[in-house]
Amino acid sequence: MELQDIFYNNSQYIETASGNKVSRQSVLCGSQNIVINGKTVIMTDCVIRGDLANVRIGRHCVISRNAVIRPPFKKFSRGVAFFPLHIGDHVFVDENSIVNAAQVGSYVHIGKNCVIGRRCILKDCCAIADNTVLPPEAVVPPFTLFSGSPGKITAELPECTQDLMIDVTTNYYQHFRPIGKGKER
Amino acid sequence: MAARSQQRSSVVIAPGSIICDECELVGEITIGTRTVIHPKATIIAEAGPIIIGENNIIEELTIIENRYPEGTENTGSQAVMIIGNNNVFEVGAHIEALKIGDNNVVEAKAEVGRHVELTSGCIIGAQCVVNSDEFLPENTVIYGSGCARRVQRERPPPQNLQIDFLSKILPNYHYLKKPTKQ
Repeated sequence: MELQDIFYNNSQYIETASGNKVSRQSVLCGSQNIVINGKTVIMTDCVIRGDLANVRIGRHCVISRNAVIRPPFKKFSRGVAFFPLHIGDHVFVDENSIVNAAQVGSYVHIGKNCVIGRRCILKDCCAIADNTVLPPEAVVPPFTLFSGSPGKITAELPECTQDLMIDVTTNYYQHFRPIGKGKER
Repeated sequence: MAARSQQRSSVVIAPGSIICDECELVGEITIGTRTVIHPKATIIAEAGPIIIGENNIIEELTIIENRYPEGTENTGSQAVMIIGNNNVFEVGAHIEALKIGDNNVVEAKAEVGRHVELTSGCIIGAQCVVNSDEFLPENTVIYGSGCARRVQRERPPPQNLQIDFLSKILPNYHYLKKPTKQ
């Protein structure tokens, strides 16, 4: 099944040299601490909190509308520390989700309206269903689907998950096309 | 709308609080000292003033609003919304409760309706919705997909360490709203 083209208004997005498409309406706090590796789409009204700690997002990721990417904190006997948040390649974060994880592997799908608790670790090739709440410090193993509140394993994913996620995210990037005035390439 | 823009100037910010300039404050709002408001939080005092105490953390995309209950438009009577001390409102929480005590935690995406009264030490879990007409006893915890309840024996610890850290870090990255002169 071929994905339909999704059009965006060219004046609303900034395209960087490495192919990132970042909405002007997104909120990137502390942008000097945010590394986005290329060909990643960041849509309208996303919040990425680079001011709290470093955030690194891999290639070919999609961060949908209203998603919040926020480094987690941990309390120690002397003060609080925020941990850097690493997101791998080919990760799809759907609308209205909040990602407080410490680490998100590659080829991960996070559904709509999810809350990923503080310091969760999402390994490679896993998926989180819509409306899931992962409690703090949960670990999601590879090839599993988590759903519910609190999130539990409900299904296993096929071995081809990696290829599926590569397909989905690269297709999404290719079909995320500008309309209106802007520089032609 | 005109009334709204008139009210806009009546925000009172105590010294020592960290209010990011990117948050939206509308209406008559009083904010206590050492309260941290992250960017993109929204506080709307439409149906009456909002008073926020000390040492609260209000994270991004949180909506705190004092608005007319549905069906009743501007009746002239004002209801004051009072939020105590040491509360934490996590990302995307939606608060309309008129009375909130101390040491409460409202987790991500939780909703608290206008007729709920939060006492002290309550935790509203992530994505839980409470909008009945009730009084939550102290240290109530609401959790899980079915909004199950129980009472915990101790109240959640205050987040002073986090406030210390945030008040060091946030001024480096954001413009802050200045405290109002007495």
